Amino acid sequence: MASLLVLGAGKLALGDMLFILLSFVLLTAAVKKFAWGPVTKMMDARSEKISGDLDYADQERARADKLAKEREDALKNSRAEAIEIVNKAKDNGEDQKKSIMADAHSEAESVRQKAKLDAQRAKQEAMNDAQNDIASLSLEVASKVISKELNANDQKSLIDSYIKELTVNNETK
Amino acid sequence: MNDKYKFIEFLGLRFNVANDLSALIAAILVFIFVFALSRHVTMRPGKAQNVLEWIIDFTNNIIKSLMPDAAVKQFGLYAFVLFTFVFFANQLGLIFQVKVGGYTYIKSPTTNPMITMALALISLLISHYYSVKKFGFGGYVSNYVKPVGFLLPINILEEFTNFLTLSLRLYGNIFAGEVLLALIGTVAKSFGVVSFVVALPLEMIWQGFSVFIGAIQAYVFTTLSMVYISRKLEKE
Repeated sequence: MASLLVLGAGKLALGDMLFILLSFVLLTAAVKKFAWGPVTKMMDARSEKISGDLDYADQERARADKLAKEREDALKNSRAEAIEIVNKAKDNGEDQKKSIMADAHSEAESVRQKAKLDAQRAKQEAMNDAQNDIASLSLEVASKVISKELNANDQKSLIDSYIKELTVNNETK
Repeated sequence: MNDKYKFIEFLGLRFNVANDLSALIAAILVFIFVFALSRHVTMRPGKAQNVLEWIIDFTNNIIKSLMPDAAVKQFGLYAFVLFTFVFFANQLGLIFQVKVGGYTYIKSPTTNPMITMALALISLLISHYYSVKKFGFGGYVSNYVKPVGFLLPINILEEFTNFLTLSLRLYGNIFAGEVLLALIGTVAKSFGVVSFVVALPLEMIWQGFSVFIGAIQAYVFTTLSMVYISRKLEKE
């Protein structure tokens, strides 16, 4: 076959063709070993890294969005909470104020009541004392008057009237 | 043109020194180029790594536009080496050509149809190999009678025309470019200083254009190789 081809081509072609084939194959192998292999490997690695980085960036963005939303929600909640706390404090204050006022009112009332009672009692006592004093005084005055001016007749009529009065009093009782 | 070549006989095979030496130089240049650019590979690419990654992305995008993304792993290296090798091979003869004693030693290796055919052969072999691998041998053979049976001869013929058009397009473009370069060079030498002055800007313009053509043809060769591979991997 080889000699046929060589004869057919007038001994011009086959050697050159083989040489070209061989050198081309060797060149391909050398290029693959020294340039194509490392460079394409790096290109693949780079494209992989780029897509990986893009994925990572997407994830990070989603995470950041979520975080920001959470923060916003928390902020909103805390504001509502603060308002609630303030309201509660206000209510508490109002309640306390009312109860203090009520206490004060009732205490004042009781103090006044007590003062009134004391005053009444004092007045009563004073009146009683005065009555006693007046009675004893008038009795003394009367006894003095009586001891000086009462004679036998008068004494008798006085006793009588007194007895009469007693009986009337008894009857009426 | 009427270039003369040195030949070496070895193991009953005949080697054209100009073809093989310049192909070897192109391969070594490609290797030095990518080797120099791929030092200190880091996650944050430097200037050199950026250039290399740009070329890799460029050839990967050729594959992505034709096949599912998984094919990039399969054929990415092949497309990259094919593109850089053809590109360097195309530019080599524009930058320097070495002739000693009437014999050409260094030129663009792609100005020889045997070289381009060898490259096209690699592409087509890969396409057939992966087609058999994907569909099994039966599935691979049955792809020749799809979509309808009477297209069988056309489908078989297409394999050969693919091979020839792929290789000869590259060869023709680069060979024509270098022939014209040589012609303008001859013009420059023909009438002394006057023709030299006239020919110099012409040569510069044509060299620039050839650089452009060389880049375009490297792209076209890689793209069509991938097209043939992708068509072999499709169920019709």
